Amino acid sequence: MTSLHIDVLRSGEGKEGEYKVTEHEPLAPWTQDTTLTVVGKPLPRVEGADKVTGRARFAYDVHLPAMLFAKVLRSPHPHARIKKVDSTRAEQLFGVRGVLHSGTAPEIDWFKDSKLFDATARYVGDEVAAVAADSEEIAEDALRLIEVEYELLPFITDFRRARDPSAPRLREKGNVATEDGEPKVYERGDVEQGFAEADVTVEEEFTTSSALHNCLEPHGCVAQWEGDQLTLWDSTQSIFTVREEVAKKLELPEHKVRVIKQYMGGGFGSKQIAWKHTVIAALLAKRSGRPVQLMLDREAENLAAGNRNPTRQRVKLGAKRDGTLTAMSVTIEQSVGAYMVGGEGSNTPGLYQRLYKCPNLRTEQWPLYANTGPAVAFRAPGYVEAAWGLEQAMDMLARKLDLDPLDLRLKNYAAADQKRDKPFSEPESLRRCYETAAQRFGWRAYKRQPGGDTRKRGIGIAAHEWGGSGYPPGYAWIKLNADGSADVVTGTQDIGTGTRTSLTQVAAEELGFPIERVRLHLGDTAQGPYAPVSSGSATQPTMGPAVRAAAHDARQQLLRAAAVYLEVDPIKLRVEDGKIFVEGESGHATTVEEVTQRIAPHMIQGHGARGPNPEDVSVRTFGAQCVEVEVDTETGELALLRLVASHDCGRIVNPTLVDSQVIGGITQAIGFALSEERIVDHARGVVLNANLEEYKVPTVHDVPPIEHARVDVADPSANPTGSKGIGEPPLIPTAPAIANAIYDAVGVRITENPITRQRLLEALAAQKPGGDR
Amino acid sequence: MRRFDYASPEVADEALALIGPEARPFAGGTDLLPLMKLDVATPAMLVDVKRSLPSGIEETADGIRFGALTTLAEIERSPVVHEQLPALAEACALAATPQLRNMATLGGNLLQRPRCWYYRSPLFNCWLKGGDECQARDGENQQHAIFDLSPCVAAHPSDPPIALLLFGADVTLRGPSGERTLALDALLQAPTEERRTESTVGEDELIASIRVPAPPAGARSVYLKAMDRKIWAFALVSVAVLLRVENGSIQDPRITLGGVANVPVRATTAERTLAGAAPSEEVYARAAEEALDGAQPLAHNAYKLPLLRGLLTQALRRAVLTD
Repeated sequence: MTSLHIDVLRSGEGKEGEYKVTEHEPLAPWTQDTTLTVVGKPLPRVEGADKVTGRARFAYDVHLPAMLFAKVLRSPHPHARIKKVDSTRAEQLFGVRGVLHSGTAPEIDWFKDSKLFDATARYVGDEVAAVAADSEEIAEDALRLIEVEYELLPFITDFRRARDPSAPRLREKGNVATEDGEPKVYERGDVEQGFAEADVTVEEEFTTSSALHNCLEPHGCVAQWEGDQLTLWDSTQSIFTVREEVAKKLELPEHKVRVIKQYMGGGFGSKQIAWKHTVIAALLAKRSGRPVQLMLDREAENLAAGNRNPTRQRVKLGAKRDGTLTAMSVTIEQSVGAYMVGGEGSNTPGLYQRLYKCPNLRTEQWPLYANTGPAVAFRAPGYVEAAWGLEQAMDMLARKLDLDPLDLRLKNYAAADQKRDKPFSEPESLRRCYETAAQRFGWRAYKRQPGGDTRKRGIGIAAHEWGGSGYPPGYAWIKLNADGSADVVTGTQDIGTGTRTSLTQVAAEELGFPIERVRLHLGDTAQGPYAPVSSGSATQPTMGPAVRAAAHDARQQLLRAAAVYLEVDPIKLRVEDGKIFVEGESGHATTVEEVTQRIAPHMIQGHGARGPNPEDVSVRTFGAQCVEVEVDTETGELALLRLVASHDCGRIVNPTLVDSQVIGGITQAIGFALSEERIVDHARGVVLNANLEEYKVPTVHDVPPIEHARVDVADPSANPTGSKGIGEPPLIPTAPAIANAIYDAVGVRITENPITRQRLLEALAAQKPGGDR
Repeated sequence: MRRFDYASPEVADEALALIGPEARPFAGGTDLLPLMKLDVATPAMLVDVKRSLPSGIEETADGIRFGALTTLAEIERSPVVHEQLPALAEACALAATPQLRNMATLGGNLLQRPRCWYYRSPLFNCWLKGGDECQARDGENQQHAIFDLSPCVAAHPSDPPIALLLFGADVTLRGPSGERTLALDALLQAPTEERRTESTVGEDELIASIRVPAPPAGARSVYLKAMDRKIWAFALVSVAVLLRVENGSIQDPRITLGGVANVPVRATTAERTLAGAAPSEEVYARAAEEALDGAQPLAHNAYKLPLLRGLLTQALRRAVLTD
């Protein structure tokens, strides 16, 4: 039996000083020409039946004997010093089993510079106290009995004012959320010179509002102690992050904390860090000696469990008459809310830095504190916001130059990663997306149909690039059972994207087993080896190669065992559909089951790890979307007529799952574009629509027919499976494509999202009569 | 939600004996339960009236009568409503979601409280809840009223009453001293200093039924609603139009407006302009302009003026259009 060969290498990327453990001998990649039989099939989700029958247990469904219910008291003030908390009356209420607040809870550091229960509340919704009781109703009653004395402090909820000298400060150093109080600046070439060389410039200010994740299943967990062993059923995108953080906060060794997450009702980035609720539940469970469930309600979910950072972007583009970009600059202000929570960064400048070829570029990014809930990564963080600005500015430039917006994009095509100074691993990837989307949509041949006297139609296009390469480390094990079935064990999690299914397909493919003979286990820190957070569209390209490596290891061992029985050279053997064939012989020589039974009770165990990313190329994902809209100029009624999306995520492991990501992502993006907006009364510091009534996510009626024009070209240099991520990219270009189509239809430029009836009608009203359209 | 007592009497008199300021009638629950969850309504008792009040749609000599418990879904699907009161069928179909319409009753819908986010937030003791200030007046008022009828600027959220007012509906109430019937516009009234609610129904009264007189033969009616989402949103603006065209001129026009005031309102000036006029774009435009008479938009809702104008113009075109 082989063991895992590992090297410890100095990492070129990632955190400074980080080491990565990699496979010694990389597998030969599956290329475009490799014939695969399970990977690439639109198989139904392996967990589908469990979900539709209600068998799947989410954190909310975990009900343990004698379990208590916890609720959190939240600050009603945007900024206040907590002078005194008196929970005497709450503690006396019948059925109350534990109360925590700054006076009674251990002092645990939280976020960058705060406490689990801090002496200062920094937004409406900030945690002040928590109660565990026999029922949710008793816990709620108890919250009303907690008396808190607040000293009100000046507040600022509008980040656009956060840099004013007179603005109230959230931190002593000020409201700029960087170490030195300075913006993050990236520069290449000579921007001034570039603008001087430009024949044409466009300049515009764009703002994006704060969208709320609104996971169908809110954040929450069940905490149970058995002696000094803590088990957490947490709704999280990263069981290992939660284990590490909870262990650190509670001063426990990591092996005393077990985190389980089998099913997930949505995370979208907001569940990639360890939030307070988990430690609060653990502390209350410890105190009461009973299991505790703490699920956030919708209001808390929308106030305190993350949001997409609102931004203001001042964009300037310069170009030659033929469309060649000579310079780009952008100043971005973005609100982090009241705290820096960590996790995937909101890299708003990133899209500006890579999407178009431009030698002279300057990006300036100001992360700003404000007295609103903490911002956290939201599906393509930063890029969704940046695309709203950049892709509309490109549209403006195209119109000013009288160029087709698609031609302007092709004119400034970037085949290399200008930030890393390396070619893209698939330099023609974005071009394929442009061509596929434009062709399927009929972009070039579009004839404007009049929708009627007051209805005007138009089309818009937008593009994106994104990461999605995956990265080490990430591990998988495989056990071959005596009956020839296989258990694949990983420490990753399926956050609803279908990871269980797609990784099972990878394992079955490499093993040569029928898929029903392979079962994948995930979502339990006590069972599987380490896997990273499921974020950054990274799970498939990270864990797919790890699973493939483990399956390869197991298959090699299996064939060596078979070779002994068959008395042939193992190199002449292959496995297909659970049968073992000898090269040059017709019919199979033996089966997997015969081999595993002969060696039983000895067991074949495969081990695999995610190898390093290539050093010489930059692995990125790309896409383009085209949309047609109709605007009723009398009423501002906007109809999305059709949308075509083309995204390159390398080899498609399961087309149905990728379609789901594309359609689901675009649906979420339509919300961002048209209706989703956290409304804040800045004078009073209060979020007014932390609910699903006035915070409007799209309904089925709001979503047009979406055509996913698949690309499906393997990127063998990315990793041995040739697959890249698709979870986030579909959101990025949708909103600017819609805004560009509206301009095409009626000649108004909407610079602030979402494009509500109010904004569209105001823009139409401001439009000069007899203007340019 | 706080604890409350619950009663489910079998006859209306028993229900009437129980209800009062602290014991509120409970039917579909689509408004009251959310208010209780928000801690904005805190009744000590809920008196379930689902066993004791009438339900169903009945054609009578003096029009169509709806039991108070008739659900919006039943109205939306009723052939007689489709035939005679299409604007009401459309108003019901455009309200909320199918699930909500299956639960929501017509009686309860008339009494739906404003969806103003200041009113619904436990953080504000707004004027409507007995406080001194209407926070929406200088706050986030993009969804609020453009006609200033009271210190409160919340818009009435319900769709069906816009159509009911169009047809001149009246409402029969039961109280401790018997029944009384009043016109819908006497039932729905802008709140006052003394009465901080949009209805004149007493705390000891129940809505028993709603009667809609049959519209004149040949009349056509239309309901249009503008939302920030295709469905499941309260009206930014809605309009209802009833008219007939006879010998090339508009007869008996009626126009009602939603999403623009504390209660559904009629556009009487515009109605007068239409009466007797030959249908034309110019007449529609004039009527639409006149429907805005007296409008005083707030800082963030001036867009409701062109919206109302456009929506009413389209409703008039549709109502005049012959099949």
